[in-house]
Amino acid sequence: MNSKMTFYILKRIFLAIFTVWVVITVTFFVMHAVPGGPFVGEKATTPAVQAAMEAKYGLDKPVMEQYFTYLKDIVTKFDFGPSLKQRGRMVIDIIFDGMKTSMVLGLIAAGISALFGILLGAVAALRRNKLIDRIIMVITTAFVSMPSFIMGSLLLALFAIELQILPANGSTPAGLILPIVTLALYPMAYITRLTRSSMLDVLGQDYIRTAKAKGVSGRDIIFGHALKNSLIPVITYLGPMLAYIVTGSLVVEQIFAVPGIGRAFVSSITNRDYPMIMGTTIILAALIVIMNLVTDILYKLVDPRITLE
Amino acid sequence: MKMKKVIALMLAAVFVFSLAACNGGGGGESSQSQSSEPTEINVCIASEPDTIDPALNSAVDGATLLAHLFSGLAKWEQDENGKLQIVADAAKELVEGVPNQDGTITYTYTLRDGLKWSDGKDVTAKDYEFSWKRAASTALAADYGYMFEVVDGYDKIWETNDKEEYVNPDAELNVKAVDDKTLEVTLANSVAYWNELLAFPAYFPVREDVVSNEAWATDPSTYVCNGPYKLASWEHNSLITLEKNADYPDADSIKMDKINFYLSDDANNMLTNFKNGTWALIDDVPTNEIANLKKDYPDEFFDVGQIGTYYVCWNINEKILPEDSKLEGAEAETAKAEIRNAVALLLDRNYIVDQIAQGGEIPASSFVAMGLTDADGSEFYKNTGVSKDFDGYFNTSADALDANFASAVETLKKYYNYDESTKKFTNFPSMTYLYNTNENHKAIGEYIQSALANVGITLNLENQEWATFLNTRKQGDYSIARNGWLADYNDPISFLDMWTTASGNNDVQFGKGDNANVAIYNLDLTDLGFETKVENGTWAETYDVLISTIKSCTDNDKRYKLMHKAEDMLMGTGCICPIYFYTDTYMLSKNVKGFFSNPLGYKYFMYCTVEG
Repeated sequence: MNSKMTFYILKRIFLAIFTVWVVITVTFFVMHAVPGGPFVGEKATTPAVQAAMEAKYGLDKPVMEQYFTYLKDIVTKFDFGPSLKQRGRMVIDIIFDGMKTSMVLGLIAAGISALFGILLGAVAALRRNKLIDRIIMVITTAFVSMPSFIMGSLLLALFAIELQILPANGSTPAGLILPIVTLALYPMAYITRLTRSSMLDVLGQDYIRTAKAKGVSGRDIIFGHALKNSLIPVITYLGPMLAYIVTGSLVVEQIFAVPGIGRAFVSSITNRDYPMIMGTTIILAALIVIMNLVTDILYKLVDPRITLE
Repeated sequence: MKMKKVIALMLAAVFVFSLAACNGGGGGESSQSQSSEPTEINVCIASEPDTIDPALNSAVDGATLLAHLFSGLAKWEQDENGKLQIVADAAKELVEGVPNQDGTITYTYTLRDGLKWSDGKDVTAKDYEFSWKRAASTALAADYGYMFEVVDGYDKIWETNDKEEYVNPDAELNVKAVDDKTLEVTLANSVAYWNELLAFPAYFPVREDVVSNEAWATDPSTYVCNGPYKLASWEHNSLITLEKNADYPDADSIKMDKINFYLSDDANNMLTNFKNGTWALIDDVPTNEIANLKKDYPDEFFDVGQIGTYYVCWNINEKILPEDSKLEGAEAETAKAEIRNAVALLLDRNYIVDQIAQGGEIPASSFVAMGLTDADGSEFYKNTGVSKDFDGYFNTSADALDANFASAVETLKKYYNYDESTKKFTNFPSMTYLYNTNENHKAIGEYIQSALANVGITLNLENQEWATFLNTRKQGDYSIARNGWLADYNDPISFLDMWTTASGNNDVQFGKGDNANVAIYNLDLTDLGFETKVENGTWAETYDVLISTIKSCTDNDKRYKLMHKAEDMLMGTGCICPIYFYTDTYMLSKNVKGFFSNPLGYKYFMYCTVEG
């Protein structure tokens, strides 16, 4: 069993590396195939300046050669190179700066959404069709169907303009409250609904009825059997959600001026900042692959019946 | 029952906690500076600057930061009457140049006493010499290296052979530190805007040992400057803080102690932060809010002139004559120019400005923008000499709309079939209008589309993402495209030299492709005392010659007359269809006094005070 698990994990790690390599390769060649370059601006530089810049960053070499140099630097030195747009800064530093903020934002938002989502979902399931269930369902339906840019704008209008109790830019810790809430509301609502339906499903199972018949207390049934088993679908959702939320939501970062990785990613593409595009893509891809892997392993821990292939 | 209580309690606790958190967060932000305490201002002009190395910067937001951080030989200032002027900064005075026998002009500047770098070392003339040579060097290959084009020696440095190799690797800019205090620079010829260049960031000094670290300009710990402010902190993508530099010789006149530049480029976010009082100045506003802002914030919404033109450019090689047209060669080319000029008259620029752009822009009928001055200091665009009744090359006023339209239709009737019953042309080839993805550009494109459809001309719209668009337009892979130009200095040449055959900004493709052999252009400079007279020459034989004549002309009056000729030639092709002159829209809190911005869009906060 244990060796099977180890083998499985090793296999998945190998697959993860393979996936990231595919992402690197595809991105690299697509990126170079897109028209426009990093040194093309509204005001044209002379061909001599253009040539000098390309030579400086090795962009004058054949694309294949650039590709292999890039792979070599990544693998041997973990070197993502310098940014072509933000002169003098290294890609890894820019990504690190952005990730710090996005991580904090994402992890807190994910934590809040998981905690309250599961809690509210469980309450709704246990009080099925009662008033509190109805209220929870109405509210979560609203949150699930509201895109983050509307939610963000509403929160801004209320807290930053009308009440003026929270700042509208994410450059201070207090400024992170609104983006965190905006980020958390959708997954929280989603998890609530997921937990509720899954819990209802579990509560109808034979083993719960058996436990009740045996005289197990309500609390033990809920916490010992029902809740744990109803979390499987939630975990499936949690992994990718964490990856998504931690890698930065462009929309939320834009609305609240949060210095996160999402903004850096999008602007790197507009700027044709090749090393930045590669760096952010690789890091984001790696994160998502890792999160998926962790989810699959968690599955197994929660429900031993699941076999890992 | 118990469970319900526990949950209710928990929920209550959560709400109390989150409310407490909200209050805690808000309190710190809203504190206003008192008069006795150091003064501080929060502003937002743009997102993270690409660089704040003065030689490498090519952006307006970077220039604003640099104008606070560095002290060049000259600077922009506002006098008591609010008039902008260029005054001496690190130089004792802005001297007159002394002409040499070979036509070059030498300026000798003396530096003021007590100039210090922010790390305490003395600023010397040698630092200026080093910085200018660095900024103009092929090794640095800076976007704005060409700002040193006027200095003797620049051409030699950048001269290349057929293989794009530099011919004179040892060539240097003709600038020399005679001693620690004296800087001598020789210009290839007289330049009217020389003092303005001295106030331009590319001319700011940096120190050799500082910039030897390539990453020097990315971190406060390595950032050494010599201006009114020091770089106190830089949280990337978030906030740049400048603090007053006590060692700056004019430190007494600097009123603002601390400037926080918040880094964001989202106009909606900027507006939110302005409305709730967090930011005192924002340099962008959402276009769809402008109408409301003008109404709700009449004292705080500003649209000031900026030296730039929004225009539509035609690909000169685009075939626009009817398929069965019998015109060929020179005749066809002349007809095309006439057609393009006629189409320009079909547009209602007042509608575009009032209903679409909404930022106080000025309808334009010339390429050289409003704000650029003529030889006598009057507005260049008012002196085109076409008519005394209006400025520019045609009348943009609302009254002239019908007459313009009628004359355009008359012209077009000469070349196309006109259906009198529908009042539409029936055989104008359909064209495509290319613009970069943006709501405003799209709206203007749609307006042009409908204006042309009105007379039976089909215009399809195509949008491309920014970098792709730039590439397509440069390659000449379009028929008509949206375009815009903001000048770097107050001299019409900055609008005119971009249209020479070899220029990288020659989006129209003058003198390229089929147009290379089109010989219909005339140039007669004999009235100004030159020998040049070309009839039916190519673009290279006429316009290119004219531009190089302007660049080597030392007589200011003649030089400006030559520039008018150049614009006449340019507008005669009809390839440039001006739409409006740009304005710079921003919002400034009415509590802020002493603020000014220059025509290049740089914003100055050093003399600001905040009331209330």
